Amino acid sequence: MPYLLTTIVFLPLAAVVICAMLPKHMAGAAKWVAAGVMAVDLALVGRLIAVFDVKGGVQAVVDIPWVPQIAIRYHLGVDGISLAMLGLSALLGLIAVVASWKVDKAPGTYFAMLMLLQVGMNGVFVALDLVLFYVFWELVLVPMYFLIAMWGGERRQYASLKFFLYTLAGSVFMLVGIIALYLYSGPNNTFDIAELVRASAAGSFDGVQGWLFLAFFLGFAVKVPIWPLHTWLPDAHVEAPTAASVLLAGVLLKMGTYGFIRIALPILPVAARTWAPWIAALAVISIVYGAAVAFAQTDLKKLIAYSSVSHMGFVMLGIASGTAAGLDGAVAVMVSHGLVTGLLFLMVGMVYERTHTRQIAELSGLSSAVPAIGGILAFASFASLGLPGLSGFVGEFLSLLGSWQSALIPHWMTVVAAVGVLLAAAYMLWMVQRVVLGEASEKVARISDITVREVAYVLPLIVLTLVVGVYWNSLLRFVDPAVQGIVTILARVV
Amino acid sequence: MTWLLAIPLLPALAFVLLAPLPRATRNAVRWLPAVAMAGSLAGALVAFAKVMAAGGGEKPIYQTSVAIATIGDRALEVGIQLDAVAAIMLLVVTVVGMCVQVYSLGYMHRDERVGWYFAVLSLFSAAMLGLVLASDFLLLYMCWEVMGLCSYLLIGFWHQQEAPRLASIKAFLTTRVGDVGFMIALAIMYASVGSFGFEAVLHGYSWTPALATTVALLLLFGAMGKSAQVPLHVWLPDAMAGPTPASALIHAATMVAAGVYLVARALPIFEVSQVALTATLAVGTATALLGGLLACVQHDIKKVLAYSTISQLGYMFIALGTGSAVAGMFHLMTHAFFKSLLFLGAGVIIHAVHTQDMREMGGLRKLLPWTTAAFTAGTLALAGVFPFSGFWSKDEILVSLLKTGHPVVFVLALFAAFLTAFYMTRLWIRVFAGPAQKPDAREAHTEMIVPMMLLGAITLVIGFSSPFFARFLGETGGWPDIRMALGSSAVAASGIVAGWWVFGKKAVDTEALKARFPQFYGMFDNKFYFDRTYEFIFVHGYNRLSDALWSFDAKVIDGAVNGFGSTWSAVAGGSWTFDARVIDGAVNGLGSGVRWIGARVRRLQVGRVQTYQRLVMAAVIVLVLWIAWKGA
Repeated sequence: MPYLLTTIVFLPLAAVVICAMLPKHMAGAAKWVAAGVMAVDLALVGRLIAVFDVKGGVQAVVDIPWVPQIAIRYHLGVDGISLAMLGLSALLGLIAVVASWKVDKAPGTYFAMLMLLQVGMNGVFVALDLVLFYVFWELVLVPMYFLIAMWGGERRQYASLKFFLYTLAGSVFMLVGIIALYLYSGPNNTFDIAELVRASAAGSFDGVQGWLFLAFFLGFAVKVPIWPLHTWLPDAHVEAPTAASVLLAGVLLKMGTYGFIRIALPILPVAARTWAPWIAALAVISIVYGAAVAFAQTDLKKLIAYSSVSHMGFVMLGIASGTAAGLDGAVAVMVSHGLVTGLLFLMVGMVYERTHTRQIAELSGLSSAVPAIGGILAFASFASLGLPGLSGFVGEFLSLLGSWQSALIPHWMTVVAAVGVLLAAAYMLWMVQRVVLGEASEKVARISDITVREVAYVLPLIVLTLVVGVYWNSLLRFVDPAVQGIVTILARVV
Repeated sequence: MTWLLAIPLLPALAFVLLAPLPRATRNAVRWLPAVAMAGSLAGALVAFAKVMAAGGGEKPIYQTSVAIATIGDRALEVGIQLDAVAAIMLLVVTVVGMCVQVYSLGYMHRDERVGWYFAVLSLFSAAMLGLVLASDFLLLYMCWEVMGLCSYLLIGFWHQQEAPRLASIKAFLTTRVGDVGFMIALAIMYASVGSFGFEAVLHGYSWTPALATTVALLLLFGAMGKSAQVPLHVWLPDAMAGPTPASALIHAATMVAAGVYLVARALPIFEVSQVALTATLAVGTATALLGGLLACVQHDIKKVLAYSTISQLGYMFIALGTGSAVAGMFHLMTHAFFKSLLFLGAGVIIHAVHTQDMREMGGLRKLLPWTTAAFTAGTLALAGVFPFSGFWSKDEILVSLLKTGHPVVFVLALFAAFLTAFYMTRLWIRVFAGPAQKPDAREAHTEMIVPMMLLGAITLVIGFSSPFFARFLGETGGWPDIRMALGSSAVAASGIVAGWWVFGKKAVDTEALKARFPQFYGMFDNKFYFDRTYEFIFVHGYNRLSDALWSFDAKVIDGAVNGFGSTWSAVAGGSWTFDARVIDGAVNGLGSGVRWIGARVRRLQVGRVQTYQRLVMAAVIVLVLWIAWKGA
């Protein structure tokens, strides 16, 4: 299947073209086009997962010259980590479309943007050439910018521009890093990730790893986001429409941590080890700080946004550890956070659609008025606070194991991170307390419970949350072999 | 013996079936968990017989595990095992669980969310049974947390009222404070042993004393949260806001004893560290005394029992602190039966008189004869009167204290035993003796009486198993020393007499005492200020910290970002305010074709973004040159 990966990445582009060209009176068909294309896309990813050999390294490879003059290649391929992210991206992509069924403001453009975003998201996780990676990375910005700026809330202009410029500013540093890697990569200059890993092992980047790492760090850190570069996130989330929030939290944030795992760690392992304690410190600050600030929020979306800062801290902690358990944990948190935070945003979207408010003070007693919505929101909250048996626990637990095991991270940092698990319970349960439990408030009392369409798009997330949470290897059997490769590289440079 | 898995999986299945049902259907099939529980009970009986046939002992007769996660060549396994301790715990949990299920069918039948109640009760049973079957600390921890969830859901079952809501979150968070310790202990096991299996961790690894101390203290901390030990005990009295039968199962008989079970399992690590054993002893002693003292001043019948539970759990920790898992587990077992009995009795009483305040009760022995009989059996067991079960298990703990040379703790434990007899006499007299205050109180239905009778019968006879219990667990055991038996009986008797003297004969005017020593009374009234202190330091403190960080985030960090932005825009000469008309124009225009998008977007971005791009390119060039220069 030589074209499988290319098809998966670019199939949504067909939907972009169709949706954008639909005449006005047929704009209502856009959602069907997008849904159909995404269903096929997800099925193709399913096919890829089915034929994927967990021990087979990078697979479904396409590698042809693109700009031969400067050795840029069209190089795609998936290993277990890519595959997990690609699956998440396609699943949440389809869900985002179905969750946007009622968008009636310029639906043609809306779904075209959503599909363009999908191309970028899919591409980032399978690109094995740095220029290609960068193109997909930047491609994501544009549709997300428009989704927030046009279909967002009251302060959408401020939020979207902040999102755009903040991430763009970060990626400028990454671009510098990419160019520098190319220049340093030896006689046969290359942008190819695998080649760069070999060049690194041969010593091409000795002496400059620290600076190169810093450049990539800034690019990725904004996206994750790592404290203190996180303030674009709450604004973007609050203003974004539901589907954009789901993809922003569920997929876009992972691009940053994925960048660390795919590029920064294997190509610059010496620097990764040197900087590890500092990254861990920032991760721990993100965990505790995000949790504490989440506790103070009065807007549901902001609360979830800050909880993301906290959860992504666990990903960075796992990455900083450089251990197999830590990296497995990091990827598991990435997947779980995608599922669970996606679910949380979808539930908040349902509540907002019915009550026109996200203010915690105005919402209460969801479980009394709408038991299904309240129940699923509570379920997502428990998954988010890391209840064993649900996916949230797997990654955070492994990340803590890896962090304790790692020689690079002082034990006290792991202890502080573990306290973050307690703080997560505090802000989540305090939210559940006020929103889900109690007597139904005025705005909640007469709303209707979940519809069939809504059940259809949250059910896959619920099921996967349970499956990953109960049988960790359902995810880790893909992820761990790929992680072992990175751990080997990191271990070689000691 | 893979069928053992059915013991926890049957109630789990009942939960899975019930949980997604609509409310009315769920209510209609509320009996399903009881059926599942009956299956588990049958399984537990067979399992017990099998272990019995194999002669008991420490060695598991069955063990199986599966790799839940594979990290490189290291498999993280979760599994189950059947040994003597597990067999006994299975019986305790299924018998009490069955009694509570049947009782609840009567107790909860009028509640509009009764189906949900039974679903959660069933999930709890599944988790508790999984916990006792677990052959590793990882599965144990996972079940441990799921029990915490069920406890949270049941405490807050009547969440429309504020007290249960607050109590449930308090319970979850307080126990999770302990869980942080448990989790770090797991991380240490992983880093040093590389496995969570009991066999590998407890017998297959030679712990250095320092590391053993760390791990043991962390596990102890986890156990203290779950088992409501000082200073993490504050959640249990509040947890009484939940339905009474749930309190009987979760907050008296089983879940709160899980901490004891954990320490008993991990005792080989504790034994490497004298510090950890001493800490366990100290925590247990403090808890036994504090619980006993506070039980004496409660007016709410469930709160008396809750503080009594805290105190008895402290007793179990004392046993573990002397290194005797047998004494701890034996008291765990007897306590599970008689304390759940007392709670079920309290449930009948509360239903009969519509209050939990003992000052509004009295004279119920004539109105509730069956309940009185059962409750009295429980009372005598708790007070440590021969031949009821509490007498035997308490004696074993006292013997163990003397054998290991802890005379001071021995005296304190005797005092705690005295307090137990004293406050239970107080409770009994207030509730059952004297003139009837609520003459229309009615005895409960049969489905509530029968479980109490069964538990009462067990309470009467189970103590005699004392010597066999120890042998079953692979230790030496015998009948209690006669001097100890007489001594402890004298203490129990004096407690009862003192209680009668103060509350029955009313020889002491307690109100006058209160007035005379207001500070002393205030200390009791404020539960020794634990809640107030935590409220001040943690709840208010964290609230303030959280608010402070939030305004720091908005003002300082985001302020810096915005400041940077506006400075840059001033430099670039562009304006950062967005023109709503431009955007809306773009929206309208976009519909007419792809070509338009480009044009509009360009118009939108012209100026600002062009300047910006030039800056970006300049920055790129400068940085590349700089890095090239640094490298050269």
